[in-house]
Amino acid sequence: MNATPPLLSVQDLSIRMGGTKTNLVDGLSFDVGIGETVCIVGESGCGKSLTALALMGLLRTPPLHLNGGTALFDGEDLFRLPETQRRQIRGGRMAMIFQEPMSSLNPALRIGEQIAESVRRHQGASREAARTRALEMLERVRIPAAEKRLDEFPHQLSGGMRQRAMIAMAMANDPSVLIADEPTTALDVTIQAQILDLMRALQSETGAALILITHDLGVVAEMADKVVVMYAGRVVEAGPAASVFHDPQHPYTIGLMSSMPSLGARSEKLVTIPGVVPSPLAMPEGCRFQSRCPFAEPGCAMRPVFTEIAPDHGVACLRAPLEGTLDPGLRETGT
Amino acid sequence: MTAVTDPRTTADPTPAKSRSRFWSKFLANPAAILGGVLVLFFVTVAALAPILPIFDPTATDWLAVRKAPSAEHPFGTDEIGRDVLSRMIWGAQASLLAGVVSVAIAVLLGVPLGVLAGYARGWTDAAISRVTEALLAAPFLILAIALAAFLGPSLTNAMIAIGLSAMPIFIRLARAQTMAVMTEDYVESARAIGLGHIALIGRYILPNIFPPILVQSTLTIATAIIAEASLSFLGLGQQPPAPSWGSMLNIAKNFLEQAPWMALYPGIAIFLVVLGFNLLGDGLRDALDPRDH
Repeated sequence: MNATPPLLSVQDLSIRMGGTKTNLVDGLSFDVGIGETVCIVGESGCGKSLTALALMGLLRTPPLHLNGGTALFDGEDLFRLPETQRRQIRGGRMAMIFQEPMSSLNPALRIGEQIAESVRRHQGASREAARTRALEMLERVRIPAAEKRLDEFPHQLSGGMRQRAMIAMAMANDPSVLIADEPTTALDVTIQAQILDLMRALQSETGAALILITHDLGVVAEMADKVVVMYAGRVVEAGPAASVFHDPQHPYTIGLMSSMPSLGARSEKLVTIPGVVPSPLAMPEGCRFQSRCPFAEPGCAMRPVFTEIAPDHGVACLRAPLEGTLDPGLRETGT
Repeated sequence: MTAVTDPRTTADPTPAKSRSRFWSKFLANPAAILGGVLVLFFVTVAALAPILPIFDPTATDWLAVRKAPSAEHPFGTDEIGRDVLSRMIWGAQASLLAGVVSVAIAVLLGVPLGVLAGYARGWTDAAISRVTEALLAAPFLILAIALAAFLGPSLTNAMIAIGLSAMPIFIRLARAQTMAVMTEDYVESARAIGLGHIALIGRYILPNIFPPILVQSTLTIATAIIAEASLSFLGLGQQPPAPSWGSMLNIAKNFLEQAPWMALYPGIAIFLVVLGFNLLGDGLRDALDPRDH
């Protein structure tokens, strides 16, 4: 990865709510290479979605605002581009799909028109050309009877089909980065697998990079090249998926992995991480996980340095790298 | 394939056409149908006024002053022998025109201002909202009377006065609806495909705030018709000898004992047309309510 510069490089991204003293997203950094899939994992409220919105330039300002950081995309800092240029990029070279397919399509516009809208906006295509492109996209996302669906309204489509339509809309202009914010969370399990398959297929066809935001480690295991684990707005661990999955270093990552339900007979209770995420209004000094960490020690009151413990695999924990496995220990305190 | 496996499809009883769903709900509501029929009846009568075989509404007949209803004059005659039925039919034109035109003025001015306030927020919103609140602080009819008196008595000025007085309701409604639509996910996804303000407002906000505006318009037509009748009653609307229900009532009040029919029929007409628009508006609201879809 170090040979070619990354497609998108986020450095020290911080997002803050007006009038508060804590960053909701604090010093987030990660790189996305061409065609790569980066998964951002974390609990609800850890700043995953804020990160996505900030990259798209869709943060609601006020009350939210960027509090520093850069996002180099094709050599340009997204955060310093004027709004008109960002609008060119949005939906063009960078596209996004959202969590709620049921409500993310305009109920007053036909499916075909909504996809065509984006094509006409970015490719300056004629009405007919945009419609043809919309049809082509609906076929590519494998919507049955695409020709007919083109003239239907969103409420006539099922959730899975709407998410396909959203993907068609996002991919219509061949983006080089696709941000997907929990794209399968609102769908039932069988449809989830189909949507993930579809995204992977489209990605290999187009070579788009994918930033996948999820709290579902099953999805991460299936999709990710790189994983960024976030906790309370900070990266606690990041690295190649294989490395993070096989050798998780941060107590939070380990907790997440062991609280993952699996199929088959289980003898033990499902492991949970005790406690709750600290409120942004009462964020502890130093490591933000210390209140829930079974291995917390006085040193945790200092902000842990993000250290590389393996190639490209970094952890923000005082104790990293860990000697031996801590998994059984965590399990004891966890149950 | 997905349609079969997704439970949402089965949860939705009629995933087919929303238009037919609107009609089936609307037609299942007897009150709404009655309202529609009443409105349609008055509109037809008003539109057909020039070709109906009726007396000239301004022709006087000194041999038939204040005659009770008869075969020749089914609704009787007024104090200078004009046919009340004919004046009612021509008066329907004035009333409906006043209702529709003044609401059109209110919508065309109010909705853009409201959308602008709800979309831009900040000081734009503050400025528009404060003025709106100031206008709303004055009772609707008092404001209309004041404006009409200021503009001078005529039907056109009455319509402008009523339109301006009804405008704040539409500003408020459009603003609130815009703010609600702005929080919808599809507005976010529209922004995510890089759409600009004009496309966002024209294709995403306006179509989605249209149903409540339509309902409010229908209900406001009823109010505007009463307002026009009130202004005409006070001599600030339709000017004699042209007929209007309000001015007919104004004259009729002097002859309530001798010629009650002069007041009865315009009064009933106002009542029915207002009832019609109200029932129609309520019916539209129920049929367009997305919560039941």
